[in-house]
Amino acid sequence: MIRFEDVYKTYKTGTDALRGVSFKIEDGDFVFIIGKSGSGKSTIMKLITREERPTKGYVLVDRFPISKMHNALVPVLRRQIGMIFQDFRLIESKSVFENVAFAGEIVGMSPKKLSQMVGIVLSIVGLSHKANAMPLELSGGEQQRIAIARAMINDPKLIVADEPTGNLDPQTSESIMALLEQINRNGTTVIVCTHDSNLVDRMKKRVIEVDNGIIVRDECASGYCATPPPEDKISIIQAVSKPSFPNGEDERPAVKLEDI
Amino acid sequence: MKFRALLTSTREGIQGIIRHPLVTLASFTTILLMLLLMSVFLLFSANARYITKRVAQQPPIEVYMKLESTQAERDVVISYLDQNNQWIIEYEQRTPEQNYLWFRENLGESASILDNFDYMTYLPYTFHIRLIDPSYADEFGMNMRAIPGVNKVLIESRVMDFLSMTGRWVNIGTFVAFSVLLLIAMFIISNMVRISVYSRSAEISIMKFVGATSGYIRLPYIIEGLFVGMVSAVGAWAIAYFTYQQVFDIMMANVNATSFYALLPIQSLSHWVMIMCLVTGMLIGGLGSAVSVRKYVKV
Repeated sequence: MIRFEDVYKTYKTGTDALRGVSFKIEDGDFVFIIGKSGSGKSTIMKLITREERPTKGYVLVDRFPISKMHNALVPVLRRQIGMIFQDFRLIESKSVFENVAFAGEIVGMSPKKLSQMVGIVLSIVGLSHKANAMPLELSGGEQQRIAIARAMINDPKLIVADEPTGNLDPQTSESIMALLEQINRNGTTVIVCTHDSNLVDRMKKRVIEVDNGIIVRDECASGYCATPPPEDKISIIQAVSKPSFPNGEDERPAVKLEDI
Repeated sequence: MKFRALLTSTREGIQGIIRHPLVTLASFTTILLMLLLMSVFLLFSANARYITKRVAQQPPIEVYMKLESTQAERDVVISYLDQNNQWIIEYEQRTPEQNYLWFRENLGESASILDNFDYMTYLPYTFHIRLIDPSYADEFGMNMRAIPGVNKVLIESRVMDFLSMTGRWVNIGTFVAFSVLLLIAMFIISNMVRISVYSRSAEISIMKFVGATSGYIRLPYIIEGLFVGMVSAVGAWAIAYFTYQQVFDIMMANVNATSFYALLPIQSLSHWVMIMCLVTGMLIGGLGSAVSVRKYVKV
């Protein structure tokens, strides 16, 4: 669950990016955050990923109070968030397999499990056959699929996508959004930041519109809020692979500083 | 940190070295030159100290007893020397007869002029003392003069002062050169890390987003620095070793090994040079990288 309560953010330059923003996103929601350039939508994303701290107000992401959490816990938070960017951010010198595996390596996944997980996420995005290709050999849509695979490798609770279709043609954009929707249907919360109004209209999901640092529209009230997934719903990765905890036990330990 | 993560960081660190050969070469060369200069200073100062010590010990302090001195007074001198043996390498008491024989020996063929010399009347008892450190000489001489029965104390003070001062300047010079070179090396290492971080900025930002800890991101750079420092240290040691060996062979060709001016053989110094190079090189490489990467990589 993500909660913003009367959040203000003023940058060192004096720019007021957010001015009293409040909203709540439940587990399993699919939410678009839209707005013009400079409206504050990217600041919301930065607060969720703890790239920035709020100047005032309260931000809670899962069990992490963003405003007062210890720096050492930032990596722990980010391991639970899959991030997707407009420019894909793949490492050109690494192959598709290595790019996806990279995120798993960082969290200390064993080579055997890593190889298995990379296979699973590549098959989910439909690019198993491109495992040995280099990023520059792929089309924009394929590169974004690889970025989605990388975001999924640690089986995150939340996927945050910043303009994921910004560099793609409409047809490819549709397929990327369909993939994100498929991921969301299996219980992962998805937040997409975009200015593509056509895409937003077609998806019929909850929309939070930001303008000049304040929320001017939240269509949760209009009926687009997703119903939280049932308690026993499993993520897409667990659906594809064998669940490690068949009884539904939570694999993740409570957040502690000594975990990192 | 898990062992696997350490292995990954080591691999990344070594890849970083290969990925930027020119930057690596620049930092390697700088650290190597710095360590080489330090090794030269170390070898020079070790030899200077060694020669200084030996030369300083050579002109002994000579203590002349009064002609009428008693055995009791001489015993006081002996007792003083025994009590202060931490300052003294060795001392020798010479009787008037021994001094007489020494004079005769020095006169060589003219020794016959001393045939009827009444040495018991005209020659005193003397003590010949070699000190550990020439800087003790003044205080030591003052204490000796205060002992009853001592007539005079001869100290080659000028020579000792010069040697003592030379030793001090060698130490100061070594320290200053070391500090300046250390700063230069740190500056270059910092730039090496900055270039390396800049060229891998995309990778680092991705690492941050997927939840890499600061330690995980920084470790490859520290390993890179440690590795460059270690290789530079071995290179500097090897150059210093073989160059000194050549200099030693040339300079010692016509010099007796027991001479006061004999150089120390490289075998007695090489392990110190190696330890100094390795510790300094790895410290500069590792610490320089750690400090720089901390500045440039913040999660």
